[in-house]
Amino acid sequence: MIALWAALLTAEAPDYRNVSPALGLTKSIPNGGAVSKKHIIETTGSGVGWIDLDGDGFEDVVLPSGPGMPALFYRNRKGRRLEEMDTGFKRQGWAQGVCAGDYDNDGRTDLLITYWGRNALLRNVDGTRLEDATARAGLVHDRVRYNTGCAFLDYDRDGDLDLFVANYLQFSFESAPLPGANPYCWYRGIAVNCGPRGLPFDRNLLYRNNGDGTFTAVSAVSLIERPAQHYGLGVLTGDFNRDGWPDIFVACDQTPSLLYINQKNGAFAEEALLRGVALDENGRALSGMGAAAADYDGDGLPDIFRTNFSDERETLYQNAGGGHFNESTMKAGLAHNTRFVGWGTAFLDFDNDGWRDLFLANGHVFPEVDSLKTDIRYKERAILYRNLGTGAFEDVSERAGPGVAERHSARGAAVADLDNDGSLEILIGNQNEPPSLLRNAAKPRGAWLSLRLLTRTGRDAIGAEVEVSADGRRQLDEVRSGGSYLSQNSLRLHFGLGPSATARVKVRWPDGGETVHPRVSAGRQTLRQP
Amino acid sequence: MRAISLFACAAALAAQTVDDGLAAFHNGDYVRAEKILSGSADPRAQLFTELSRAATGRCHDSVPRLEALLAAQQGELRRLTGLGLVQCHVALSQLDRASALADRLKAEFPSDADVLYQAARVHMRAWNDVIYQLFQKAPASYRVNHLSAEVFETQANYGAAVAEYRKAIAKNPAAINLHFRLGRALLLESHEPAALAAALAEFQAELKINPFDAVAEYQVAQVLTALQRPAEAEPRLRRALELNPALTEAQLALGKLRLDARDFPAAISLLEEAVRKMPASENARYSLMIAYRNAGRMADAVKQKEELDRLQKPPEGEFTEFLKKLGERKPQP
Repeated sequence: MIALWAALLTAEAPDYRNVSPALGLTKSIPNGGAVSKKHIIETTGSGVGWIDLDGDGFEDVVLPSGPGMPALFYRNRKGRRLEEMDTGFKRQGWAQGVCAGDYDNDGRTDLLITYWGRNALLRNVDGTRLEDATARAGLVHDRVRYNTGCAFLDYDRDGDLDLFVANYLQFSFESAPLPGANPYCWYRGIAVNCGPRGLPFDRNLLYRNNGDGTFTAVSAVSLIERPAQHYGLGVLTGDFNRDGWPDIFVACDQTPSLLYINQKNGAFAEEALLRGVALDENGRALSGMGAAAADYDGDGLPDIFRTNFSDERETLYQNAGGGHFNESTMKAGLAHNTRFVGWGTAFLDFDNDGWRDLFLANGHVFPEVDSLKTDIRYKERAILYRNLGTGAFEDVSERAGPGVAERHSARGAAVADLDNDGSLEILIGNQNEPPSLLRNAAKPRGAWLSLRLLTRTGRDAIGAEVEVSADGRRQLDEVRSGGSYLSQNSLRLHFGLGPSATARVKVRWPDGGETVHPRVSAGRQTLRQP
Repeated sequence: MRAISLFACAAALAAQTVDDGLAAFHNGDYVRAEKILSGSADPRAQLFTELSRAATGRCHDSVPRLEALLAAQQGELRRLTGLGLVQCHVALSQLDRASALADRLKAEFPSDADVLYQAARVHMRAWNDVIYQLFQKAPASYRVNHLSAEVFETQANYGAAVAEYRKAIAKNPAAINLHFRLGRALLLESHEPAALAAALAEFQAELKINPFDAVAEYQVAQVLTALQRPAEAEPRLRRALELNPALTEAQLALGKLRLDARDFPAAISLLEEAVRKMPASENARYSLMIAYRNAGRMADAVKQKEELDRLQKPPEGEFTEFLKKLGERKPQP
């Protein structure tokens, strides 16, 4: 039956349109120079987020911004309008990423915005006001840091959310070399902003939640800070070796990516190289930017996808079991889009056929690249792949609607069901332009299941793993904070069910407990840990 | 006593004058250096007088004297004399003599920036002279287009390179290596999937002209692999290896295809051989590590990982050292 549905849906092309202006997302997000960039800090911002701040069941929008504007927050008015909120948080700076998690277990989703400088932990006071709790929580740095991707995760399984923050490099305006200053400040013969090569490395950060609204820095004791020579960007958490404990993948720029394997004793071991996710299949470190995970081939194991630079392939790492991966980019039909610099990415089932499709937001780092008159451009279209259900994808970008074809220098991307109609929307952050909000005008015919998973304390069960079975197929997903490129997807999990009206749902909760729900009806559902 | 004293003063003055002349030379004031040094009986003064003349382009007279002086010099003076002579040979268009001397200096001073610069200058001048002749004597030859294409390639102007290769092929369709170079330029020019098919056609055309071209066979296999046609790629790699058993890249590619096919014994055998032949290849080491790991030979995989860790340390060198210092700098307190 599923096969028949898949065949039926093949003819149905998505039709993504940018509805940002119509819904009220009209403010341009500043990110340094628009026609040339002097420093690398201007190239990396910013991510985007879907977070249901007011708990009304509709995902609100969070837009971190570069200097010139504070982070923007938009209340989702039932999917019909996005209305700018005054949350009380006004700080301006080089904001980079956003991740969500109810760190104080009060039932309201809090968030962290990362900055070059000092991060901001924003406690959700009442669904409308956000309180800067950074200092009180013990998250103030003792120096300027170039914080990028972040994720809340319960790495010690003690019931409260800890926090991981990737660091890119050490940067200061005073000491940074200027375009053309050394061999790492040139691109194809034009002087461009320098780095990351040639700029000093920095270390990633882990904070343990003390359970009283404060955190303790544990980067050293957890061995998170041990890898010393990497430029960390996108953060992706997940139980990649299926031992019930959350691991952490970090997409790194021009250096091997990192996979921290949870040792279940408060420490992590960095094992990306041997596990096959550090490099490409030729043993080369690529310019990793963003990352997403999904069981794209339906074998019950979470796979990892990473976006990279132009003249590099994106990389799809197929999980072979036990947390070991083999690169499958070419076999999966993802090797041909090499002119793009990829950033935000998400697996999403846009046609609800039960197979996770794949979206990439693109845009070059150097505005100056346009002067070269090659096929590499600063503003680029997005990419959409349809999952064929055979272990391979089909590139449908050029017939996926005008929203996918629009050219921007995009960075973050995140997915949510804006209007709770079972069709997924994609929010994209564009440098020095308003964000794009892509809505699929061709509504998918398949049934769907949108699951919110809550812990006993009533917070989103970040780290919970869900197996959904319908019509003989199993799908796997996990509730994740952070991900993509410095972005936050909806904390709800979305499963396409094809023709099925119900599904069997098995949940492995963050503390290791399991529940089985034999017959869950399609549509929006909430499961609470008993 | 007075006479002795006067003689000592004059000698001291002469010595000081030579030092002044040398200082002027080293400061780049060659006119003053020559003025001070010429006529002095000091052997250093004679040498630096000639070097000053050479540096200001008066080489006709200096060359025989510098050649005579060169054999007697050691160390820094030999380096300076050699460099002066190379400059003079170039100025007098004596490129064969300049090239021979530059090669000798390179062997004696392999890391010296001035020597390497002058050697590069000699070869560049020779290159420019020959190109000028080619364009003057045979402007309509396909070789003009061929050469232009190669120059465009070095400038990363692949679109222009493709156009020039096409013109060359139109003039001489049977010339060896043109289709191969065009195929490579096509791959570099465009990121579009269509470029793969176009390049494949050129590599195949090259093989029609020269069926013994192992590298063209290898390129055909690489394109077929990229087009997800591994079954067709494999025999092309085997053929490339038959033609040139030393083409280790083909062996590596074959090993990776076997690895993809989960034929671990064959993959490991090919990849071990590739690593033996290219011990510094991260590509070969990485593939062998994955092959061992997938075959369940974790201890061997870990050994390869350790080798990879070692290889991935940046190479030694002045700039790398500078970067390493930056990278290893302790985070500020």
